Amino acid sequence: MVRVSNQLLQNARTLVSDFLVCPLSKQPLRYCEESNSLISDAIGVSFPVKNGVPCLIPKDGTILEDEDESKPDNDTNLSAVSEDNQGRSS
Amino acid sequence: MRGLLSLFRRKPLSFPPFSFSPFSTSESKLKVFNRELKRTQRDRAAWLMPPNDPLLHTVAENLSDRLQDCKKNFPTALCLGGSLQAITSSLRGRGAIEKLIVMDASHDVVQACKNANHGLNNNGMETMYLVGDEEFLPIKESSVDLVISCLGLHWTNDLPGAMIQSRLALKPDGLFLAAILGGETLKELRIACTIAQMEREGGISPRVSPLAQVRDAGNLLTRAGFTLPGVDVDEYVVKYDSALELIEHLRAMGETNAHSQMNTILKRDAALATAAIYDSMFAEEDGTVPATFQVIYMTGWREHPSQQKAKRRGSATVSFTDIQKQFGSQN
Repeated sequence: MVRVSNQLLQNARTLVSDFLVCPLSKQPLRYCEESNSLISDAIGVSFPVKNGVPCLIPKDGTILEDEDESKPDNDTNLSAVSEDNQGRSS
Repeated sequence: MRGLLSLFRRKPLSFPPFSFSPFSTSESKLKVFNRELKRTQRDRAAWLMPPNDPLLHTVAENLSDRLQDCKKNFPTALCLGGSLQAITSSLRGRGAIEKLIVMDASHDVVQACKNANHGLNNNGMETMYLVGDEEFLPIKESSVDLVISCLGLHWTNDLPGAMIQSRLALKPDGLFLAAILGGETLKELRIACTIAQMEREGGISPRVSPLAQVRDAGNLLTRAGFTLPGVDVDEYVVKYDSALELIEHLRAMGETNAHSQMNTILKRDAALATAAIYDSMFAEEDGTVPATFQVIYMTGWREHPSQQKAKRRGSATVSFTDIQKQFGSQN
């Protein structure tokens, strides 16, 4: 069983390094073992890996909280998003 | 067709609490399909889908058979959405694929495909799984030799965008192969729904999703920048015992209506009227009702200097008058 999961992990690594990019920015992704997620540093979003399958749908991602606040893009992102949410919930 | 399904109560969809500003312009664009709804429908289809659906199997075979017409090998392939199990099993051993990336928008479909292929002899084909959206393709530029999509792309809102992203993901001289459902699909159901709604409700609302026409397919390929585009059409007629079985089948394939503005209420008598009209208008002598599925097959290549192409204008060195002098007398 351990060998199988190792092989799966290896598969996932080649998948990430050779083929996958962030679906929104098309920039490289980084695998974070701690949270078992793929992180797009360009836009500060993490995508979950469920059962060894990376989920790279924009709506599945979560914005990383401890992201560098100095980036103006991020701030506008968040404010636009909160407005959007209000619009949806009302 | 969706209306019949809405007799059953659905779980409300939950929206994760953000969207991205770089693509916020896409909100203002025309949204034909509800992609979230499609995703839940495909989640359901993962559990309902029989392992060997004849329609999906035939389309997948027809599509992957085209790989054997090419002399080229395709070491890395990307399989987008649609009928995953049928296409992955028919791709096995074809086109010398070494690495196959299987992608779908529904996690359950991907998981079902993974479980089905687990433990099978894959002829040394390494298969990797991924959940992704065709409209936001998470694949590195120039990284795969083949992009194949079996009955998935007709649900995208931005089909040209999805095809352009597929072209970018391809290596030069890579092949794009796709099968989508065309506008003639389910024409019987379209007619029956319209008549039943006119009769029972005094008006009509779209019950069957809009689909691409054959003439659009060629334009799409050219617009997405594929070279040597090719389009061909096949029509399959499937016979069912009644219209209700047709709906069951559509549901199992995850092909039920996901129109973003559809009316989610369909009264029971209107649904039954649709089935009755379908039966009286289209039933055959043996009591079965036919349903047409029009499948458009699209082929395109990413440009490469080795491909044949028309010569530049004005590059000819021989005059047509001379050619006519040379050969004209023979006629």
